[in-house]
Amino acid sequence: MSVLIRVEQAAFGYGGRAVIAGADLEIRRGDFLGIVGPNGGGKTTLFRGILGLLAPLAGRVERAGARLGYVPQRETLDAIYPLRVEDVVRMGAYAGLRGLRWLSAAQRAAAARAIERVGLAGEARAPFASLSGGQRQRALLARALLAEPNVLLLDEPTSGVDRGAQRRILDLLVELNARDGLAVLLVSHQLGLLRETAREVLWVADGRVLRGPARELLAPEGLDRLFGAAPFAEGG
Amino acid sequence: MLDTSWLERLELFLWPLCAALLAGLVLPAVGVHLLVRRASFHGIVLPQFAAAGVVFAYALLPWWIETIGLGGLTLEGALHDPHAASTFGLAWGAVFTVCGILLLVRAARGSGSEVARAAAGFATASALVLVLGRLSPVGRGPIDALLGGEVLGVGLHEFEVLAAALALSALLLAWFGRDILLASFDRESARVLGLPTGAIEALFQGLVGLAVAAGTLTLGPVLVFGLLVLPPLAARPWVRSMRAFVALSVALGAASALLGEAAALHWDLPLGPSVVLTAAVALVPAPLAARRT
Repeated sequence: MSVLIRVEQAAFGYGGRAVIAGADLEIRRGDFLGIVGPNGGGKTTLFRGILGLLAPLAGRVERAGARLGYVPQRETLDAIYPLRVEDVVRMGAYAGLRGLRWLSAAQRAAAARAIERVGLAGEARAPFASLSGGQRQRALLARALLAEPNVLLLDEPTSGVDRGAQRRILDLLVELNARDGLAVLLVSHQLGLLRETAREVLWVADGRVLRGPARELLAPEGLDRLFGAAPFAEGG
Repeated sequence: MLDTSWLERLELFLWPLCAALLAGLVLPAVGVHLLVRRASFHGIVLPQFAAAGVVFAYALLPWWIETIGLGGLTLEGALHDPHAASTFGLAWGAVFTVCGILLLVRAARGSGSEVARAAAGFATASALVLVLGRLSPVGRGPIDALLGGEVLGVGLHEFEVLAAALALSALLLAWFGRDILLASFDRESARVLGLPTGAIEALFQGLVGLAVAAGTLTLGPVLVFGLLVLPPLAARPWVRSMRAFVALSVALGAASALLGEAAALHWDLPLGPSVVLTAAVALVPAPLAARRT
């Protein structure tokens, strides 16, 4: 399958100091990858590097075939903004605005379809800040879908939401991956959920990246191997 | 109360009234974006920098005319030529405002309290206004009038300068409003979507600087920071969308300008503070909205 993102011998870090070094990986159409690892191991650094929010200190990242859809952590978004769900979702079309920079009827219709697809049709005109954590996450997913991505990158999409909402979000991602061939890459601490959902994981620790099947790496014996004698407590 | 009819007063003070009304229409729309960025204190600090720039321009004027020249004008001629004085003041007001913006942007990125650094900037700019005012060849009168919001001396040329600057700011805000909103609400997503967030931020700060510098030169810092801060603060609890937020803020700003002008004319009060106090009244019902939601 076609390569959408290729990372070659890349180092990522801050202030000239590499947190991740020598990373090699490819993200292809249809991949479903989780990024996991201990706190401070470099998960977020790798994720930001793949997204293009961090320039590589060494090596290179090719995204020539990728149309990125990004779902940030909802806690980073300030509730002081008076925005309805449809306002937030329509932001996904802002990069494509032309002329007078008004949204076209087609863009509005696409936003409505994206809202419907994530199951929020009844909440389209509700204030974004009044939604539950899981609903807000789905609204951000709808916004990412409006950009018609072929790679979806999600930062902790299931943290801080109840078990039912976690399941709905992950089921949606599985459906998008299976039906549309959308590549999915998500950072998560919730290893149990990832083991059931992701096909592969990128284990990020001590500045290195290890790729393997989710069911093997995230099984208790796999985690024992990764953590040595002291496996960390599994979240979620 | 003034001993003239309303019609005569309107005729006499046409341009100051038009200038305050125009500011009431545009500055709250700019203030909306400052409020959602939690940067309303910029609305207080930046006009003070702009005022320092205008006062600095007056203090600098004798040296400037002697050394560089100002269209062949003498000092006396420049002080009596509204075009020369206001353009020179606007230029320096803009320079100081840009310096204030850079300072605030730096404060936001630096360590420690951003608000404390902004407060330090405000204190410095306020002190500069007073010290430079002492050096001004025009004396304290015009500077006290500027700082106190007594804007009844505004003429056609000052109004034209203000109208051009505010119209440009409003146009940029309307045209690029969506980009400015996304870049502040979710900067990382804006970058991933391919928006040039650095250029958008520079554009926003530029239009704020332009509106603040022109507003302060013409109407004084009191009216400018009052209209940047109060109408959006009063409007926020009542709205559910950015469009409604801007519309209500602008409506409150315009209503404050009209009612404040009427009060100033009727009771012979300083125009700027009258408008600001009227805008402050709009804050009173805000707790009702909070209870409603």
